[in-house]
Amino acid sequence: MSKPSDLLQGTLDLLILRTLSLEPMHGWAIARRIQQASNEVLQVTQGALYPALHRLEQQGWLRGDWRQSETGREAKFYSLTRAGRTQLEKELAQWERLSTAVCLVIRMAEE
Amino acid sequence: MHLQRWFDVARLRLRSLARHAAVESELERELGFHLDRETEANQDLGLAPEEARRAALRRLGGVAQIEEECRDMRRTAYLENFIADLRYAVRSLRKTPGFALIVVLTLALSIGANSAIFSVIDGVLLRPLPYPRADRIVRIFFRCREYPKFPLNPFDLRDIRARGRSFGAIAGITRADRQLSGAGRPERLSSFAVTAGYFRVLGVSPAVGREFTTEDELPARGRQVILSDRIWRTRFAADLTIVGRTITLDAEPFTVVGIMPPVAHPGNSYHALSDGDTVDVWTPFTFQGNETRRGEHYLEVFGRLKDGVILSQAQADLDAQVAHLAGEHPDYTRGWQAVVVPLYQETVGPARRLLLVLLGAVALVLLIACANAANLLLARATARQREIAVRAALGAARSRLVRQMFAESILLSVIGGTLGAAVAVGGVAALTSFLPADFPRAASIHVNPAFFAFTLAISLAAGLLFGLAPALQAARADLQDALRDGGRGSTAGGHRLRLRNALVVGEIALACVLLIGAGLMLRSFVNMLRTDPGFRPERVMTAAISLPSGNYKNPKDGIAFYDRLVRQLAGLPGVRSAGLGTDLPWTGYDENMGGFTIEGKQPATGQNFHARFHLATEDYFRALGVPLIRGRFFTSHDNMDAKGPGPVVIINRAMAAAYWPGEDAAGKRISFEDHPKEQDWMTVVGVVGDIKDRPESPAAAPAMWWPILQAPVYPDEMCIAARAQGDAAPLAAELRAAVAALDPQLAVAKVKLLDDVAGQSFSTPRFALFLVALFAGLAATLAAIGIYGVISYSVTQRTHEFGLRVALGARPWDVLRQVLAQGIRLALAGVLLGLLGALALGRVLWSLLYQVSASDPGTYVAVAAAALAVAAVACYVPAYRATAADPMAALRSE
Repeated sequence: MSKPSDLLQGTLDLLILRTLSLEPMHGWAIARRIQQASNEVLQVTQGALYPALHRLEQQGWLRGDWRQSETGREAKFYSLTRAGRTQLEKELAQWERLSTAVCLVIRMAEE
Repeated sequence: MHLQRWFDVARLRLRSLARHAAVESELERELGFHLDRETEANQDLGLAPEEARRAALRRLGGVAQIEEECRDMRRTAYLENFIADLRYAVRSLRKTPGFALIVVLTLALSIGANSAIFSVIDGVLLRPLPYPRADRIVRIFFRCREYPKFPLNPFDLRDIRARGRSFGAIAGITRADRQLSGAGRPERLSSFAVTAGYFRVLGVSPAVGREFTTEDELPARGRQVILSDRIWRTRFAADLTIVGRTITLDAEPFTVVGIMPPVAHPGNSYHALSDGDTVDVWTPFTFQGNETRRGEHYLEVFGRLKDGVILSQAQADLDAQVAHLAGEHPDYTRGWQAVVVPLYQETVGPARRLLLVLLGAVALVLLIACANAANLLLARATARQREIAVRAALGAARSRLVRQMFAESILLSVIGGTLGAAVAVGGVAALTSFLPADFPRAASIHVNPAFFAFTLAISLAAGLLFGLAPALQAARADLQDALRDGGRGSTAGGHRLRLRNALVVGEIALACVLLIGAGLMLRSFVNMLRTDPGFRPERVMTAAISLPSGNYKNPKDGIAFYDRLVRQLAGLPGVRSAGLGTDLPWTGYDENMGGFTIEGKQPATGQNFHARFHLATEDYFRALGVPLIRGRFFTSHDNMDAKGPGPVVIINRAMAAAYWPGEDAAGKRISFEDHPKEQDWMTVVGVVGDIKDRPESPAAAPAMWWPILQAPVYPDEMCIAARAQGDAAPLAAELRAAVAALDPQLAVAKVKLLDDVAGQSFSTPRFALFLVALFAGLAATLAAIGIYGVISYSVTQRTHEFGLRVALGARPWDVLRQVLAQGIRLALAGVLLGLLGALALGRVLWSLLYQVSASDPGTYVAVAAAALAVAAVACYVPAYRATAADPMAALRSE
């Protein structure tokens, strides 16, 4: 919603994959978990979340099944496929590289 | 793992397509759940239910938009659009059924022709031979200067088999037909004498019983037989207890030691039996005679390479073996070398070039059909210019318009391909029944999944190819132009016309290439028919007969039988002359070659005198109509009688020319002995005309004939030739009756008119000519449709202009000439290109031609003239229409 918390392009995929690597969740829970884990810094807009979930599912990285949720109603739970787990590792490594690089550049600017 | 992912993806895509409604409702439920959960959470924070719901909705944003974005993620929009495009294509094709019909029919014919030829190529060239690890099987020949592939001497084979290191198994075979008697009518069986291990070479073991062993090869043995699956079922009622029992072959008992499963005969060269399931029984080959005399070469040898051994190693091994043999038996083996050829190459080699030429021809036909379809689509697209422009103006993306064009072309090609598959299924049946009798692997040609895959693939490829031009055009569509003058269509864009003209020129060029190919093949076929065969095949009945060695133990008895038979035949009322000989013209030859000494001549070093060797009776040459050139034919006095003329031979012109050039061969003497005594000399009493092995053979080989009355042994099998006074057909029955009267136990086989025997020799060139001519005719028709289409379209476009011209005083002839000139210019360009292309491609045809050059000027001129004439006729119709342009209409519209 607010500009500062807008996510970097592509980072949302990583966050979703990482969140789902803990346990299968439905869409609302994923958004909530990302928000909590980031100390309310990262706010995932639903307009971005669901297309992203569907895209990841269509790419074979997530798998959706209907299960009973904590409220007793049926919800679509997403879980990581094996291919998704490999993809997560790849994206994590890439993120590490990128953020290290960005940090290096920023520190140099401070000196 | 990746596989799993692709599987997941495919499942999801399929589900989004097939269960569209379910997927949509799930999306709705998913977002609904989110909304409810958010509302609950808001209520937990203390908001009133109404307020909580509104906040949740606000936060979620546009539900419809999210849904649309999620839908996009399914990646099926493309397919859904494609289906819509297809529907649209069907609708618009229905509006122009004539156009659709022409395109579909021409595509069906050309795709069908391609698929039919493909299925032949698939069966003959692409499929491995029907043996386990067939690539390890090779043929082994001897070769010398004169004979590039010659069979082996049995003892040479035995030595090579014992000493060679490269082969898992080596075996030799020779045709040795047998007569089966006992229960039922006597029957000639196609039979081979094979050495031990023959079936190991092929990699097929008997279904029941055993293969022959080296024990069976001993001279005193060899009375065993292995039955083919077919003969076991047809003659022995599939009786398993037959193994171990005896059957009567050639009036002698043979013990059945095995029954083969259905196994393909690998094909042989001499007295050839076509490959496939064609052998009835196999008997052991026995090594008879003196193993120090190795002049006879008649075993056809097969070998299976050991694992890891490559062809060049086997060749080197054999070279060493032959060198070794040459040291041991210098008189016989010196001058020979070994050749190893993969069995596959040996089997399909002769057919390969022909099939590739046919494939090339049908591929050209398909290309022409594609050019034709592209042209017709272009013409149609031009007519639809306005529609396309309107769609573009209303916001259709260019890519969408391009896809629309492709949808149309693919729809046409797939319908064409489906019809084509039906055409091809019929075509394959026709082709196989029409194939020459000696065509390799004809039995393995079938319509199979590969055939359908190929048909689908070329249909799609053709659709993409001929859809390319209209698609590019749609992509370039100039809106303003089209909308401005689309209504009147008075001008066709310059590049558009150029493209269409180029396509027509290309079509004509390709058709000319095919026509020239067909023309050259026609000329060589006519040349072949016109060549003097060396004998007169009309009104001659022929047959084969063999004397079972069991019945005629003494050579004299056998010869006496043949003598009686030939007299009996000559005495028949309808017979003018009758003779017996070991061979008939154009039926293959078993390379029964003899080396000999010529009185007063020495062969050049490293060479020897040799010629093919036959037996004949007195009237053999008269019955066949072979002309006498010098001396005399045999007489009844050419016998063993001491008071007779002594040993005599008749030679052919090729032998006279080879060994007595510039001399009169009659009266000269030759001998089979290396150091002949006086009584060993044979006098040449006659020289007869040459008969080539096959009508297309370059020259006849030197040959000689012995009178049968002087033969030291009698041949197992003899051919009968009886020349009739009038119609030869009734002789068939009389011939059988005459044989039965002498010996009711004998089977008469291969009863055929010599005309038919000779006709068989033309079957391969006739087959090739027919197909190439068919394809060339198809190509010419397509090209004619193409040029007609272009000219007729341009006339329609220019009706206005022609009307104005007429109004300004042009005579109809001027208009006609102008249109015709336009067509002829295109045709000339196409013909010129075609002639150049044919010149470049002529080499491909070379081996299929007979006494005609691949750049034969006559053929080129005739094809050029014919192509121009067809083009003129095709252009005349629209040109004539142009003369009818109404000047008033033109003026009014101005």
